[in-house]
This record gives sequence, structure tokens and C-alpha cells, in this order.
Amino acid sequence: MATLQQQLAEKFLEKLAESKQVDTEKIEQLRLLLRDSKKVKADDLVKIFSLPAGGDVA
Amino acid sequence: MIKLKSAHIEEVRGIRKVDIDFQKGTFSISGPNGSGKSGVIDAIEFGLTGQIGRLTGRGTKGLSVAEHGPHVDKTKFPDAAFVELQVFLPGLNKSATILRKVSSPTKPKIVPADDDVKAALAEIAEHPEITLSRREILRFILVEPTKRSEEIQAILKLDEIGQTRGALNTAQNKLQTVQRTAMAQVQSSRDALLRHLQISTLRSEDLLEAVNKRRKLLGLPEIPELTADSKLDSGLSASINRPDFNKQSATRDLHALSDSAKSFPDLAKADADSILSDLAKLEADPALLAALQRHSFIQKGLELVDGPECPLCDKPWENEQHLRDHLNRKLAKSAEAQKLQEALLQKGTAIAQAGIRVIGLLGPVQKIAEAQGDTGFAQVLTIWKTDLDGLKISLTTVDGLTGLKDRLTTGWLATPGAFAKGLQDLTENVISKPDQTAALDAQTFLTTAQLRLSDYREAMRKNKAAEIAYATAKAAYDTYCVVLEEQLNALYDEVEKDFSAFYRSVNQDDESAFTAKLTPSEGKLEFEVNFYDRGLFPPAAYHSEGHQDGMGVCLYLALMKRLFGDRFTFALLDDVVMSVDAGHRYQFCKLLKTQFPNTQFIITTHDRLWAEQMKSAGLVTRKTSLSFHGWTVDTGPLVESDEEIWGEIDSSLAKGKVEVGAAALRHHLEYVSRLLADQLGAPIAFRADGNYELGELLPNVLKRMRELCGKASDAAQSWGSVADQEAATKRKTALSTSSGAVNVEQWAVNKAVHYNEWANFGKKDFEPVVAAFKDLLGCFRCEGCESWLYVTPRTNPESLRCACNKVGLNLKPKAK
Repeated sequence: MATLQQQLAEKFLEKLAESKQVDTEKIEQLRLLLRDSKKVKADDLVKIFSLPAGGDVA
Repeated sequence: MIKLKSAHIEEVRGIRKVDIDFQKGTFSISGPNGSGKSGVIDAIEFGLTGQIGRLTGRGTKGLSVAEHGPHVDKTKFPDAAFVELQVFLPGLNKSATILRKVSSPTKPKIVPADDDVKAALAEIAEHPEITLSRREILRFILVEPTKRSEEIQAILKLDEIGQTRGALNTAQNKLQTVQRTAMAQVQSSRDALLRHLQISTLRSEDLLEAVNKRRKLLGLPEIPELTADSKLDSGLSASINRPDFNKQSATRDLHALSDSAKSFPDLAKADADSILSDLAKLEADPALLAALQRHSFIQKGLELVDGPECPLCDKPWENEQHLRDHLNRKLAKSAEAQKLQEALLQKGTAIAQAGIRVIGLLGPVQKIAEAQGDTGFAQVLTIWKTDLDGLKISLTTVDGLTGLKDRLTTGWLATPGAFAKGLQDLTENVISKPDQTAALDAQTFLTTAQLRLSDYREAMRKNKAAEIAYATAKAAYDTYCVVLEEQLNALYDEVEKDFSAFYRSVNQDDESAFTAKLTPSEGKLEFEVNFYDRGLFPPAAYHSEGHQDGMGVCLYLALMKRLFGDRFTFALLDDVVMSVDAGHRYQFCKLLKTQFPNTQFIITTHDRLWAEQMKSAGLVTRKTSLSFHGWTVDTGPLVESDEEIWGEIDSSLAKGKVEVGAAALRHHLEYVSRLLADQLGAPIAFRADGNYELGELLPNVLKRMRELCGKASDAAQSWGSVADQEAATKRKTALSTSSGAVNVEQWAVNKAVHYNEWANFGKKDFEPVVAAFKDLLGCFRCEGCESWLYVTPRTNPESLRCACNKVGLNLKPKAK
């Protein structure tokens, strides 16, 4: 059984994807961040949100 | 999760040395207050988590596992204090041993040291809530809603969720500041472009009209449409070395700066004054200032927490979670300070935006000064711009604003002394220059226009990126909040349903229609319960203490079910249902058995009756229950068992401690008398409180055994079984001739008199008493397996037996 945190993270990412307000690349980065770190840091989130749309490949 | 197979405890808390076989099943430990039951709970909790809940939390200042975990005589030898637990891990189908010493609580020795075993045990170590004591019950039931929310969220590990939400909010705020700065940059570069083009709105049509007028004059083709690739100065030969200076545009830039400079003293003054006022408020209120300083200090500390050591003061904590909870509680206390901080930073951002606009005015003039060879003034402007750039950073923190107090008082812009004169000289210098030829004017107009359009486009691009980043962060934060609320509401809804169902099942006789309501709102968790259909009230409003205890346990079980689901296999319940009455306790046993069939509960109680009820309800068996009859600082808990008691008494007498031996004998006789009264069906006058005296029990047990032996002898005779008749007669004779039996009336075991008399005996006087009772109790046991005899069935017994069937005396005579 998934923990409450895991359930919440899954729902959050699912809802974010549905909203289409955030591109898939950023959602994937968020998924990795929430999976790998118990304590999410604001600066890590800033980096993800500041990624160019569609990824960082120019 | 785990199931506990056995525990070996040495020199921990009040325990010297104890081995307990838990058999992976629900287990009860009973004994009077101070007999060491909770010491066992502490030791198991320590073995599993490295913590002892009793030594942490509120009201435990100055207590620690390191100092107070070892037995009081071993505080200087913490290595001697350790717990070794044999556990079974159902999820892995593996068994493991955990050896944890008080001297190194965070480094247990785990065998086998498999990664999956270590991970499973590490998970347990993060869940101190496997232990529930009455103190925790009060935390759920009687606290105010804000505190209850914290307590329950801590149990459900929701603080990690709060941490993620906080990080998302901080990221959103940071990106909003970035976006505001980018917007100010757009405004500044837009103003510079408009000023140069001498148009009032940045419409393509107006821009192209101004540009094409110059291009036409230079014989260059007009630009029909402004696109992203349009170059306003296209066609101008790059090889020609023309001055990077357009007199008319430069004059406008100089005048724009000059005009703006008139209002510099008042620029964002209201914001600066407001910041100063807030800072003064802080200075006048040391508590608020301390709270604010603490707020940012603790915020920084929380960000840096990465283990059980406080990053702010290096103090070691029981674990990281305790440290985080402590810091979060401190943060919550400074809510007013947080509000003030937000206001300060908002005004700081407004000043930073004003600063960006000033930098936008200084930039073109600095270039003019450089172009005109006025290096002194160019240097003044360069230093000022750098200073204003640095100021932006200080304006984004409270510490930075506090450091800027003097500057905010005298004028945050800090206009250099040489500025006014330098600007005036440069303006006069530019104006005094001969007008440029129309062609040169047009050429420099176009190059400058292109430069400023590029700056504007770059600022727009950055602003767009900042807008997207902020919008993304906001969408993520808003979505997280919505999902969090939905999930929490669903969670509380499920907890509420489980809690109500559990409580109804315990109290089905008088509250079969019980309901409860958990209402989360703004960091609070309101908890109301139905009181006999008269409405919803706080739990402590009308319900008795016993009912409140029941509620606490039911809420705990509902929360654990939600937290662990089918992995909820272990919990320590330390004297938590002490004020629940007898009828409801039976239902409580039923609840545990039916709703949590796969959970091993270790239950302690000081109430002997409750311990018996657990057995009669089938929650525990004789093999999965243990009684302590007393405790001394030298021996630790004294276990009620015939195997060890005589050794303990002999040991006490050998040390000349007759009073310790007397107390042990007295408790043992009480224990065995109760047991035999139950197993042999001795007629005892019923007492509603179950508090039977030894004097009421032992004589009746003796009488019952004589009667049973007589019946067995008669029955054997009727069947013609000589062997059985001899065995029955032999047991009856032994019983009658035992000096313990002979003296039991004489010693009459009156608690008030003889107990104390024994304690006053000399060693030589007391030894015969011990021998007599040892001899007497031997008559009630099987010589082979040494188990206590019992009758079966309990009503209308047909035989007197032992566990190994060596004793099996028929009680039913042959029908005549």
C-alpha cells in the first residue's frame, strides 16, 4: 500500500497533467524530484519551473 | 511492519534482565503500578526505534535516552544497557534480530544485514507512534483543534506533505519576485525605446513611421512590416566608422534623466517610510523582533536540517523528525512576525522595481558620457548602477532591509554628490555640439533604435520566460493545495468512519448510534462527537473519562489503519484502557480480534481484572500473558511464575533481605491462588471489583482441591481403578499433611497483619514458611510437566488434569 505522501504525489502529478498548465517535461522532472527526495527544496523547484518549455535543449 | 517473537532486555530503565517470549501474538503484561510494565514497553520501543517516547516531548525537558535510558545503577555504563529483539517481517517472510545499545541508539546491529531487512526496520524506526500511552490519548482527545491537527498530522507523517507545500509556495514567491523584476526591466527598456523614437505608444505602425522617415532620408528601402527578424538599421554599411551617438536622442535621454532626477528624493519614499515604520515597530517590541529574527533563523535552519543534529546549535535530537517538529512549532508561534515579514518584503520589491527604472535611465546617459569622453561622470554612473544592482538583493530579505535602515532614512537611492553637476555639464556639452548632419542624425538614429529595440525584445523574452515560470509555479502550488485538501478531506472522512464504527462496537450497549465529525479547516482539526442524539459536542464536554479513553484508542486505531493499511501488524498499548469499564473492555477485545486479526498488540495494564478479561475474551492466552508481582531497584520486575519465584526468594534471603522475600512470597501466593481458584473452579464469594484477598482465595482453593481429590478417589473406586484411587488418595494426603496447609489458617494470610509480620521475621524464622508454601503449592502441580492442575470442563467438571496428561483423574463415578 502506497504511503499517503506517495498517493498525494501521484494525484498531484495526475491533476497537473490534466490541467495542461505545465508541460510534460516539467511534470516528469517533478515526479523524479518527489520520488527521490523526502524534503523537497524550493530552489530545486525553481530550477524545474524555470526550464524552457519543452526542455532545456536549445 | 513486524511481529515480535521475543525480547531480551538488560539494564534498560527499571529492568535488570528480562526475557519474554511474545510468540508473534497479542500479549498482555499486567502488574501493580511501579512493577516495571512500562519499562518493558520502553525497552521494546527503544529496540525498534532507538527512542523512548516517555523521555521525549512535552514535560520531559532535561530527560534523554542517553542519560536516563540505562538502569539507574548503570548510568555510567550505558554499554551495559541494551535490548535484543527477535522479530518476524511478514512482508519479507524473514526473521531478524535487532541488538540496540543505549550507548549507540542510532546504530543497531541487525542480523541478517540484508538490505530489505534493514529497510523494513528503518521504516519502523521512523514510526514511534507504534507506542500508544495514555499521554498520547490526551493529545488526540482533549487538546485544542490547532494542536490536535498538529498531533494527528505528525502521526500520519503529514508534516512531510506540509514541507512540500511550503517549498512549492516559496518557489512560487521567488519566481513572482523574478517576474516582477523582469517586468520592471521591460518597462525601463520600453521607456528608453519610446523616448528615442519620440513616440508615445509602442505600436508597430508608429515605430515604423519614425524609422522609415530616417531610412527614406538615407535612400534605404522602407521596412513594410515589423517582424521578429526586422533590423531597423539594415542597409547601413557596417564598414563605415560612424559615431555611436545621436545628438537629439542623447539630449532627450539627458533631459529624461534630468526631469526624473527632480523626483528622485520622493521616489518610492512611501515604501521606504513604511519599511522604516515597520522596523521601528520591531525595535520597540523586542519580543516581535526576536520572533522575526527567530523566524528567518529557524526557516533557514529547517531548510538545512539533514539528520538528527540541529544545524543551528549542533544539539543532537532523538531523530530528525523530533527536530523538525520542534522547529515547526517555533515557526508557528511567530505568525505575526511572518505577516510583518511579508509586508516588508513586498515594499522592498517595490523599491527594487523603482531602482530598475532608474538604472534604465542611467544606462543610456552613461554611454553618452563615455562617447563624449567624460570618463569621470561615466565612472560615477557606473558605480551608482552597480550599487543599485546590489541594493536589489538586500531589498529581498528582512536582514538586508534592517541593514539598509540608515540608507532608507537618508534616501535609498543614494544619489552621488557629483551626479547633478556631472549631468549638467554633460548636457551642456552635448547641447553645445554642432547639430549633426541630417544623414548622420538619421544613421545614428537607426543604429540606436536597433540597439534599444534589441534590449526591449530581450527584456520581453526574459519577462515572458519569467511569466511562464511563475505561472507554472503558481499552477503547481494551487494544484497541490487542491489535491492536498481533497486527499485530507477523504482521509479524515475515512478516519471519521472507522473511528465511529470502532467506538460503536466497543460501546454498542449504550451508544449504538454514535457518530463523530472530524472537520479540517485552516490548520485546525475540529473533533466533535454525538452525545446520545443530543447533538455534536467536543469529546470532553459530556462523555466520561472512561469513554474519552475509549475514544482515544479508537481514534488511534483508525489513524494507524489509515497510515499502515494491511501493514499494521504491531502496536504497544501502554495502560491505555485503564478507565474503560469491564463490559466495554470485553467489546474492546472483540474489536481488536475482529478488526485487527493480523496485528500483534502488546498491552500493559495495572488492573489484574482486565488482564484476566483479556484471557477470558480469548485475546491472549496463559502463554501469551505475563504478570509482574512487584519491582525493586535491585531486581527489576518480579515475574509471577513458579519457575523463578523460589530462586528469587532464596536469593533475597541469602542477602538477608527478608522483607523482599516476604513480599515476593506474598505476591506469588496471591497469583497462584487466583490462578487455581479459576482453574479448579473454587467457590469464592463474588466481588464486583475483582479485588480478592489472599485470605479469601487460598483456604477455598485448598478446600476445593481436597474435594476434587475425594471425588477422584470415589470415582476411581467405582470404576475399580486402583491406580487412580491411589494417586488421588496420595495427592489428598500430601495436601492434608503439608505444613503450609496445616498453617494456612494459623498464618491466615491476613494482608494487614501477617504480611508485615513476615517482613519482620528473621531469616531462620522465615525459611520454614517458604518451605511450607513451596511444599503446599507442589500439591497442585504435575510432578512431570510442572503445570498447574485444572478441571475440565469448567462447569460440571469430569476430570482433573495437567498439561501433559500425566495427571488425568476421572471425577465421574460409574453410574449405579
